[in-house]
Amino acid sequence: MRLMKLPTRKGRVLVLRYIGAGVVTLLFLFPVYWLFMISFKTPDEIYHVPPLWMPGQIQFSNYYVLFKDGDVMAILNSLIVAGVSSAIAIILGTLCAYSLARFGTGGENLAMWIISQRMIPPIAVVFPIFLIYVYFGLVDGYFGLIVLYTAFNLPYVIWMMRGYIVDVPLELEESALVDGLNRWQVIWKVVFPMVRPGLMATSVFTFVFAWNDFLFALVLTRTEVITFPVMLTHYFGGQSNFWAKIAAMSVLGTLPIFVAVTVMQRYLVRGISLGAVKG
Amino acid sequence: MKFRTLLGVAAILALTGVSAPAADKDAADIAVEAAKKYAGTTISIVWEAGLQSLDPLNYSGPKWEKLTGIKVKVVEVPTDQMFTKIMQDFKSGAGAYDALNVIPSWMPDLARAGALEPLDKYVDKFGYRDELQDIAAAYRDNQMQYDGKIFGFPDDGDVMLLYYRKDIFEDPKMKEGFKAKFGYELAPPKDWKQLDDIGQFITDKMAPKVYGAGFFRTAPYPQYMFQERFRMEGGKFFNADTMKSTVNSDVGLKVFKQMLAENKFMPPGVEQWNFVDNLAAFLQGTTAMTISWPPYGRWAAGYGSGEEALKWVPKSQVAGKVGYALTPLGRPELGVGFDLSVSATSKNKEAAYLFIQWLNSKKTSLERVQLPYTLRDPFRLSHYASEKYRALWPDAPAYLDTIKTSGEKGLLDLSLLQQDKYDEAMTKAISSLWAGEDPKTILDRMAQQFDAITEKVGIENQKAVYKVWAAKPGAYPQ
Amino acid sequence: MTFSLSFNGTEHRRPSRLGRVLEDRLPYLIVAPAILVLLLVGLFPLIYSLIVSFQRITMTDNDTSFAGLLNYAELFRDTRLWASLGHTAIITAIALPLELLIGFLMAQLFIDRMPGRQLFVALLVLPTVISPIVAGATWRLLFDVRFGPIGEILSFFAGEPIRILWTVNPAYVYPAIIICEVWQWSPFMFLLLLAALSNVDQSQLEAAEIDGASYLRVLRAIILPAIAPVIAVACLIRGLDLVRIFDIIWALTEGGPGSMTETISLYTYVQGFSQFETSYTAAISFLVIALLTLITTLVLKRMEIAR
Repeated sequence: MRLMKLPTRKGRVLVLRYIGAGVVTLLFLFPVYWLFMISFKTPDEIYHVPPLWMPGQIQFSNYYVLFKDGDVMAILNSLIVAGVSSAIAIILGTLCAYSLARFGTGGENLAMWIISQRMIPPIAVVFPIFLIYVYFGLVDGYFGLIVLYTAFNLPYVIWMMRGYIVDVPLELEESALVDGLNRWQVIWKVVFPMVRPGLMATSVFTFVFAWNDFLFALVLTRTEVITFPVMLTHYFGGQSNFWAKIAAMSVLGTLPIFVAVTVMQRYLVRGISLGAVKG
Repeated sequence: MKFRTLLGVAAILALTGVSAPAADKDAADIAVEAAKKYAGTTISIVWEAGLQSLDPLNYSGPKWEKLTGIKVKVVEVPTDQMFTKIMQDFKSGAGAYDALNVIPSWMPDLARAGALEPLDKYVDKFGYRDELQDIAAAYRDNQMQYDGKIFGFPDDGDVMLLYYRKDIFEDPKMKEGFKAKFGYELAPPKDWKQLDDIGQFITDKMAPKVYGAGFFRTAPYPQYMFQERFRMEGGKFFNADTMKSTVNSDVGLKVFKQMLAENKFMPPGVEQWNFVDNLAAFLQGTTAMTISWPPYGRWAAGYGSGEEALKWVPKSQVAGKVGYALTPLGRPELGVGFDLSVSATSKNKEAAYLFIQWLNSKKTSLERVQLPYTLRDPFRLSHYASEKYRALWPDAPAYLDTIKTSGEKGLLDLSLLQQDKYDEAMTKAISSLWAGEDPKTILDRMAQQFDAITEKVGIENQKAVYKVWAAKPGAYPQ
Repeated sequence: MTFSLSFNGTEHRRPSRLGRVLEDRLPYLIVAPAILVLLLVGLFPLIYSLIVSFQRITMTDNDTSFAGLLNYAELFRDTRLWASLGHTAIITAIALPLELLIGFLMAQLFIDRMPGRQLFVALLVLPTVISPIVAGATWRLLFDVRFGPIGEILSFFAGEPIRILWTVNPAYVYPAIIICEVWQWSPFMFLLLLAALSNVDQSQLEAAEIDGASYLRVLRAIILPAIAPVIAVACLIRGLDLVRIFDIIWALTEGGPGSMTETISLYTYVQGFSQFETSYTAAISFLVIALLTLITTLVLKRMEIAR
């Protein structure tokens, strides 16, 4: 008989850590699992007592209903509003950030004022914004939401991009200037390639923030540009909670975010800590 | 050929003018013909989210589009947000909504604010006066006008009914046992004491298979049951001279305590039940009595059970075993209800009007109240009398008669200036009741909130409105 | 990076006059659009609403006459307002330390190298990026007394049926909100702390190990001081988010039962958009801004330190 080799202490610790990691991951992912499963269940399975851990079979009728009734327009609206506003915020914000980083425009005060805009609670401004939008007839249109999300995300973009631009070695730009490029060319041909990864990451976060916003959308949409979080709350009510629709819509509204963030994994820490932690 | 007919009709309409609508044409046809000139446009209509919306989504919307070429966009809004959303749209001037479902007790506020379009001129132009007379008096006299002007067409015969399980109530063993214990016959309860007796009795005998009763308890619906009970037990909402709220009177306390105590013989978790939970329990035979709006009766009878749209409703296990009765004390709440109205900020007012006239007309509405999946309930005399409807299931005649009587005896929802705020206070109070807070504390707070609202509205203003409301035959039991 | 300057650098073009202006004013030109948008959407409404807060506009009455400080005086008599601030404080005070603690423990678990760590981290971060409305809706599903799995799981461990009305029973409604909140945001803390822990000076740790120092001592003397700035930043970011908590509660309890879980954001919404107390809501907005300016100032001071 061959003697089994006893695992080393280090090995045992590793096994324990894997078990711990597995349990923690299970705990945190269970709600997500449940959401996905409900979206595949039939009504009988959703309202089954005791709850079923798995649907009998994967079927897509809950999704089909969303497509048939046109509810998925909400996803499309969210895509348009979040996409366009992110693009604008990135362009305006990066330019502004460049000026702040390289010329120190406005000094520390301007930079501080900009980031303080980010800290203002939405609930405090949503009401005046509503009044203003009413005055200018901007309620329930793409334009209004896009402007709002652009403004909402600008401080973030400026703040983040300022950090990324500061990281670009000054000498590169200086030598480019010596070589006769003008500033616009320097920004486009020297700085931009250097900060491209940071730019991508910032875009993704900007998109996610706009995508997830509920409060502004709740107040400023009616029928034309209802975004997906608002659509979701339409399925709750005193009459009944339409779990099938809630689950299916949630999954549709969550998948793009999952994909985007997984792709941007490397920049996650810096992104969500407002640049304070460089992961 | 069709086109020629159309031209002909248009010509006739043009010739006869607006004053003399053809007597042989019904309101539905008039609306369709007149609406054809708006073909290609889209109108939006606010509808209660969920089941109610299946009517315009699956039936009336597509049919209207086929008839007139006007597309209908349904905006689903949860009940307790309907007022808010309509008001927000009006305030925002966006004009996103063309036609509206308006809860009658909020109609005065919306009309006063100018959010609703007065409909009289359209009613005359498109010959709708006669058909309005067919709407049952309870709705026509109370839910159609404000300040002498028509602001909405009552479109839903909402009233509370008591449903009970005939098979249990007629079971000889149960009857005997009940009589021996309480000294009176087991029958649909005439007052709340009886309901409590019966509920507890059945629960004691049959739980957990069957419980004595189950009611919906989550916001916003139970407040309508409170309004009914409170008044039937002798409660008054306000002192008519000072406009101080009297909801925290002994009557209020008694009703609150009873409502809370009743949960004990209801299935566990009833505090969380909404409309569909309660429905599911009754259809599955888990509860022997419930109080709700008329659709329960249709679904309990198994009407429409094969419908795709009703797939999510549990199959009725109690078809043929359900009796219909007036709620205890005999004056059921005309809870909620819906009017069809036109938004004052709509950019397509006439098209929107024609759509609601068509929806509300004798012909279309009779179809709509028979849709198996809809929540629209009979509200016209011609609905109650419809031979077709009365033949839908064996007990349909008894069902329609009970609805008709309930409507005639019904109590009106409280309707004051800024009613939305009083409703919110009531809804929150009842939610606190289930959470286990002391009933007296809740009622005192509710009375305080009522007073604060009244004060803000202006005591004299509100007093005048309250006096008019309280003088209506359906406001307080005589 | 694969770019080369030699391709562009050789040719010296004389910039046109316009080009020179663009070049000279460039720092301001490129700042202007962003600042303009911020002023337009950030500042302009605030000024407008400041005016409104001194008027008497309500749902039905468009009375623009000035009422002085009436609306602000009203703030102090509004018990529901102060209660809602209290609720907000409770949620913040409980959820924030919990998130920090759980996040720290998770970071400890993953700090040492292990194959497949990236995958775990990638999965664990998912709750944080989900829309809070979806998070609230998901937990409403999970908590449901009949169709939700939580009762089932608790019953399994308790060995007897457990039925908890999470959103009705006052004893459980705050736990419900906090569980959901902690579930969503502990991974946020985890990510930041993991990054911070990886940056702790390894040589110091090794030296301490050789000295045979206990873990608690190492934690107090080396680890905590090293990650303190990150903790400060993380807490302040999350703290600000918690003070404005709205979405999760909207989806989970709608402020109920009664007004028991109504936070300041929810209350402001109710006043402004369902009761249409236009002028009064404007006053509330300024109270909130005042309170948050206080906190924000602190945040920025701390972020300065952290940088």
